[in-house]
Amino acid sequence: MADQISITIDGVEIQTETGKMVLEAAIDAGLYVPYLCYHPGMKPYAACRMCVVSVEGGRGFPAACTLPVQDGMKVHSEAPAVQELRKSVMEMLIAEHPDGCLTCHRIDLCGPNDVCLRHVSVNDRCVTCPKNERCELKDTVRYLGMTLESPLEYKYRNIPLEVGDPFYDRDYNLCIVCGRCVRACQELRGDDAICFTERSGSALVGTSFGTSLLESGCEFCGACIDVCPVGALTERDHKWEKPARVERTICPHCPVGCQLNLEIGPKDDFIRAVPEINSPANRGQACFRGKFGLEFINGSGALDTPLMRRNGVLTECTWDEALDLLAAKLEEHKGPGFALLTAPDSTNEEHYLAQKFARTVMGSNNVDQTSNTHPELVEALASILGYPAATNPVWDLEQAGCTLVFNANVTEEHNVAAVPIKKAAQKGAKLLVIDPREVELTRYADVWLRPAPGSELLLLGGLLRAVVDQGLQDSDWLEERCESPATLQYALRSLDLDEVSRTTAVPQEEIEAAARLFCQSGSGAIVYGLDNIDGDLRQDCVRALADLALLTGNLGKEGSGLYPLRRGANEQGAWDMGCLPDRLPGFRTLDDDEARQETSAAWGVEPPEAPGLGVADALSGNVGQVRAVLSIGEGPAPWDNLEFLAVHCTNLGSSAERADLVLPRTSFAAKPGTFTNMERRVQLLKPAWPGQDREEGASGPRSEGQLFAQLAARMSAPGFDFASVSEVMDEIAQVNPLYRGISHARLEKEAKLVLATNPENPLPTQVLYSRKEYRGIQWPCQDESSLGEGILYRDGFPGGKAELVTPEFRAALQPDDGSALWLVPGRVLFQRERDTQVVKGRSNRIEREEWVELNPGDAGAMSIEEGDPVDVAAAGGQISGVAHLTSSVPSGVVSVTGLFGQLAVELQASEEWNPAATLEGLNIVRATVSKRVPAAV
Amino acid sequence: MSSGFDSPAFDTILAEAERRWQELTAGGQPWIRVGTALCGEAAGCEEVIQAIEAALEDQGLAAGVSRVGCLGLCFAEPLVDVLLPGGKRVFYGNVTPETARQIVESHVGQGVPVAGLALGQLRQAGGPETGGDPSLGDIPDLDRHPMRAREAKIALRNAGNIDPGDIYQYVAMGGYGALRKALTEMNREETLEQVAASGLRGRGGAAFPAATKWRFLAGSNAPLKYVLCNCEEGDPGAFNDKAILESDPHTLIEGLLLCGYATGAHRGYIFIRHGHDGPIDKTREAVRQAYELGIIGKDIFGSGFAFEVEVALTGDSYVAGEETALMEAIEGSRAMPRYRPPFPAQAGLFGKPTNINNVKTLAYVPEIIAKGGEWFSGIGHEQSTGTAILCLTGALKYTGMVELPMGISLSDVLYEVAGGVPGGKELKLVQTGGPLGGVLSGENVDLLLDFEVFRNAGAILGSGGIIAADENTCVVDLTRSLIAFCQYESCGKCFPCRMGMSHLLEVLERICRLEGEPEDLVLMRNVGENMQAGSLCGHGQLGFNPVASALRYFGPEFDAHIIQKDCPTGVCRTARFSPRQTRR
Repeated sequence: MADQISITIDGVEIQTETGKMVLEAAIDAGLYVPYLCYHPGMKPYAACRMCVVSVEGGRGFPAACTLPVQDGMKVHSEAPAVQELRKSVMEMLIAEHPDGCLTCHRIDLCGPNDVCLRHVSVNDRCVTCPKNERCELKDTVRYLGMTLESPLEYKYRNIPLEVGDPFYDRDYNLCIVCGRCVRACQELRGDDAICFTERSGSALVGTSFGTSLLESGCEFCGACIDVCPVGALTERDHKWEKPARVERTICPHCPVGCQLNLEIGPKDDFIRAVPEINSPANRGQACFRGKFGLEFINGSGALDTPLMRRNGVLTECTWDEALDLLAAKLEEHKGPGFALLTAPDSTNEEHYLAQKFARTVMGSNNVDQTSNTHPELVEALASILGYPAATNPVWDLEQAGCTLVFNANVTEEHNVAAVPIKKAAQKGAKLLVIDPREVELTRYADVWLRPAPGSELLLLGGLLRAVVDQGLQDSDWLEERCESPATLQYALRSLDLDEVSRTTAVPQEEIEAAARLFCQSGSGAIVYGLDNIDGDLRQDCVRALADLALLTGNLGKEGSGLYPLRRGANEQGAWDMGCLPDRLPGFRTLDDDEARQETSAAWGVEPPEAPGLGVADALSGNVGQVRAVLSIGEGPAPWDNLEFLAVHCTNLGSSAERADLVLPRTSFAAKPGTFTNMERRVQLLKPAWPGQDREEGASGPRSEGQLFAQLAARMSAPGFDFASVSEVMDEIAQVNPLYRGISHARLEKEAKLVLATNPENPLPTQVLYSRKEYRGIQWPCQDESSLGEGILYRDGFPGGKAELVTPEFRAALQPDDGSALWLVPGRVLFQRERDTQVVKGRSNRIEREEWVELNPGDAGAMSIEEGDPVDVAAAGGQISGVAHLTSSVPSGVVSVTGLFGQLAVELQASEEWNPAATLEGLNIVRATVSKRVPAAV
Repeated sequence: MSSGFDSPAFDTILAEAERRWQELTAGGQPWIRVGTALCGEAAGCEEVIQAIEAALEDQGLAAGVSRVGCLGLCFAEPLVDVLLPGGKRVFYGNVTPETARQIVESHVGQGVPVAGLALGQLRQAGGPETGGDPSLGDIPDLDRHPMRAREAKIALRNAGNIDPGDIYQYVAMGGYGALRKALTEMNREETLEQVAASGLRGRGGAAFPAATKWRFLAGSNAPLKYVLCNCEEGDPGAFNDKAILESDPHTLIEGLLLCGYATGAHRGYIFIRHGHDGPIDKTREAVRQAYELGIIGKDIFGSGFAFEVEVALTGDSYVAGEETALMEAIEGSRAMPRYRPPFPAQAGLFGKPTNINNVKTLAYVPEIIAKGGEWFSGIGHEQSTGTAILCLTGALKYTGMVELPMGISLSDVLYEVAGGVPGGKELKLVQTGGPLGGVLSGENVDLLLDFEVFRNAGAILGSGGIIAADENTCVVDLTRSLIAFCQYESCGKCFPCRMGMSHLLEVLERICRLEGEPEDLVLMRNVGENMQAGSLCGHGQLGFNPVASALRYFGPEFDAHIIQKDCPTGVCRTARFSPRQTRR
């Protein structure tokens, strides 16, 4: 334990603890010591020497960032000698950094929109720096009170700007070589896309061998931009704009629940997103989607007026007309003929109101979220363990001794969740990947098992058997925590391991080694996405994974647990709110008496008893009697032949185009409420553009809360007239035991004030924006005094003991389509073994010959040899490349792995309204391979 | 632990070594040794060896030809020594392919030494006593040569005498006897005590007591700890570390093993700068042979002591010689220094407790263990025990490498050992301890070789490089050249050094172009002193030394450049230097 001690800095006594550095202690206490290379969250680097101090009784000028605190230590940060030393270093920095922004005599005269009168040379003009007045260097110069008269010779580096890569602009003429970006890439992200180049006075930042970012292994997460203190690294979009205000929000792209700070420009538009550093879910990190995929907020093309289909054509109408029509139509379709679908980025309150509306006003249990196409992802978790949710926090993955990633492309689809996995792997934790595709995490994996598509479940069976065969299970734990542990173990014995090995194309030794890896690393966590798993097998895959966690005692402790990777940002919240055809709030069944009593008491109406139909039912053909649908957001429209379809959405997409009524919807960034992320953390979502009116009659988009309130009023239904969104949460707390202790007031009250130094002082943007730390509450939270639970099942399972369910270990039947193979697409950040040509230009692009990887046996049957040009034809299109024969590809599979950079280029160039939200996953499809006959010359 | 030492196994190796040595020195054939260290290579030893081999073949003569390391007489390279069975070694200096042929014909073929070409004669270890060999005529005794007369060879005892590529020759010279002694007769603490008693201090520059440093590591209970040997040696004018590895790598390996034994470490890294090909090849081969004989490895001679050795390299980087930067390099990162604390003894290589020593420091250890710490502390001067291994270069009559007892005065070294400045010129200045060590004026060389004396005089013994410059040298130009080195080698991490070095060089180039202004001296002092105060590692902290010391002794010469716009030596008027592009 760290001891509490006190030190003084410039005569101010502050309390701190052993193990901290003087600079950290100063920042904690709100005292300003200048720094440029240090950045909270990263290890100190001790290069910029801005934080030098003197210590009474000590020698020289140690850097505060690397000076450990000692009780009674007397530190001087503002002593004249210290300031002189800082100034001398700064003087040299200024001698190589354009400084018109400091020296031009018009600095105080120029207004924001004045044309530059060019009193300094072109490159030095303040208007040529995208970070002018957002620059830590400039602020530090001002703090030091420098005269800016220097005998040093000024040298502009004269390096061409790097503007060809997606999303980023890089101007190394402005770089001060503090190394924050390099360290962020390596230390915070576990990538090594950028590095230092050259040395001495020529030292700078770049990529190894001067490649473009597309091929350097960059995942375009923007972490380097977020930490850059100067104008060297910037987001290309809105590059020159400065924020007028900053608002905290939660990223709508995936369920990690990253808190982002939205910079809002003077024209009240969204400029850029800066991930929040004091946020437990993302710890200052974001990804390409959160950082560069939010432009849709500005909503060019966003719906503003309701549209009504008249004579087959969608035509504008007023909200009143629209609501009247909707109310009338809904009156007609009360009962099981009505279905209501919510959006993945609906708030908890909206999900709640939606299911309440469907159940109480419409008398229908047909309620679901549009993204809930695969409820099996978590259903088995609920029945085996108790809750349909991830058991541990995302960053707990950093503590795992071994992480198993099962059929999931975490880096692309839940990016920030991959960060703790990669960091742990780099620190020596084990990583086991099971996936037929080559995804980014396979590069970090100690063991990558590559089963033939469709045989994943069988492989899990083999893995479980290997655990039992090698005596790796935690028998004491099993005995104590699980029901009938022997049954599964007995059943496993009948599994034919030879057959497993043959069918999966994974050698038995590798399965055994994987089992040892998972079981002998102290603790094991399981992250799964079930990507490309056949519908019939999904439920059993989850059971098998739960069995693995239970067999090995990896539940209820740090570094363990199960992480289902849901899709929608607030899909967890939808489940919690009972926005499901067969569940009431709190994930309680429709026939749960207590739940029925609680809900009817709160609602004044009994919910219908018979389970309704959901998206998955409708997709599988069970459409029931549904004739009218109200759909929130864009999403799959599983019901055809409807009499009435109303869509409440932000832009006109494919489902809206089929609708009879289209209602403009408020975007996530403009509405209040809460989101619940994948780690069950209920986080406050604050509107960045608050006060969008709730009045009847006004035009413009409305939130679901407004919609349901106004609709219920028209239909004379009580229970939707809430004075504020927080009242909705209060009602949720009444009917959902998991949320009983949660309220908006509490979430706000418990947000910790982050002790920040005076905002006038230069601070990294991420820190500057961090006024409050909103930790949220991880359910279950039974009452006001409960702090919530980071890790589930610490003290056992809600139902007493967990039950080991024996899945039927099997492989999906191979479709009988002749010579077709499984086309397994992969995507990685970089491939060291392959040369990549990047054509540099206005926008860089990757040009390379694709490797079409084939099993030598398959290739032989098709008379394809190494290096032959081949075509791969699939339903989605055709890929051409050269054949590369390798036995690492199972028989029956053809594998093509692309570069992530390619995806980034496509995203950047996309014309879609919200490209980050409609990203295609890496889907395995059937394809035929043929040798290309060279065209006759 | 010691009782388990398998003496018979080692005795077998020793017997074999002695047999082979006897065969080489007193067998049926003459033995020709050619210096093939860097100095020999630069002087053309390869052509000489080819000529020797061709001559032997032409004449139908049989003789052993060995490539040995550096004897220290680098000025006389290529150096060839011929030993007739049972006789004395006769050394020929500055041998050319033509003279080589002559030597083979006459000395090897007919047994008649070529007196006119001979540099000196030396008794072969184990051979007859000096003097009384009439066949050698008046060939002088090599030990009376000024460069050797005052030498006391400890670390260099085998250099130039044995083939570094043959572990048996090292064993025949008593090699690995100290390891055997430690493993059989001494425990860890006793080994440490001997090192402490010797008063051995680090030869890397800081002169920190070796035993104290070793005890830091020995006191750690960490299951994994490392001992490192630093042979970055990038100082211009210093080549003694390289020479030890090239001439007698097993001395270093034995020292490293003893260090590992004393400190309880089981893994050692010998870190050599990329590009030092000779030392790298020789050391790798030596490590391989030591593994083969079971001298390195698991359970060495059944003693229970296990020790692994690896040779690690980095790219060309001077700062990689800084101990923490070196660890970064071994770990595979860019060689940039770390901050301290934590110190390497707490968290060094791969975050584990680590001890790091210079090549020379470790090379003393086998003899200290073999002969006792007291013996070593009896050599030298006050707190500076043992010897100084100096590299003499520049304007000196005899250039090369000498190992002299501490306490000899620098002026004796320059005027006596190195024979003074050739051509009757005046000694203007000497540059000691590498570029960061700064310069001493020729009038201030009356210093004893002693760490404290040097330190008090504002100079450092450091790497042991001593570069002498005569009156034709322009101090400003020399300073520029030293700073150009320091600038080029700055790793680019900490701001004061990254930018300060460039500014210093820029100013010096200006002064060399005779375009300097009086304010430039103030500017240099400001930049330099802040660099000294603000830099992260020694490179920046000491980087102003060359300028500061030059200004101290040769202020007027700077003034001449700046005020009179004249270079007194004429160098800056005539010499064409191409200033390295300092900054973008």
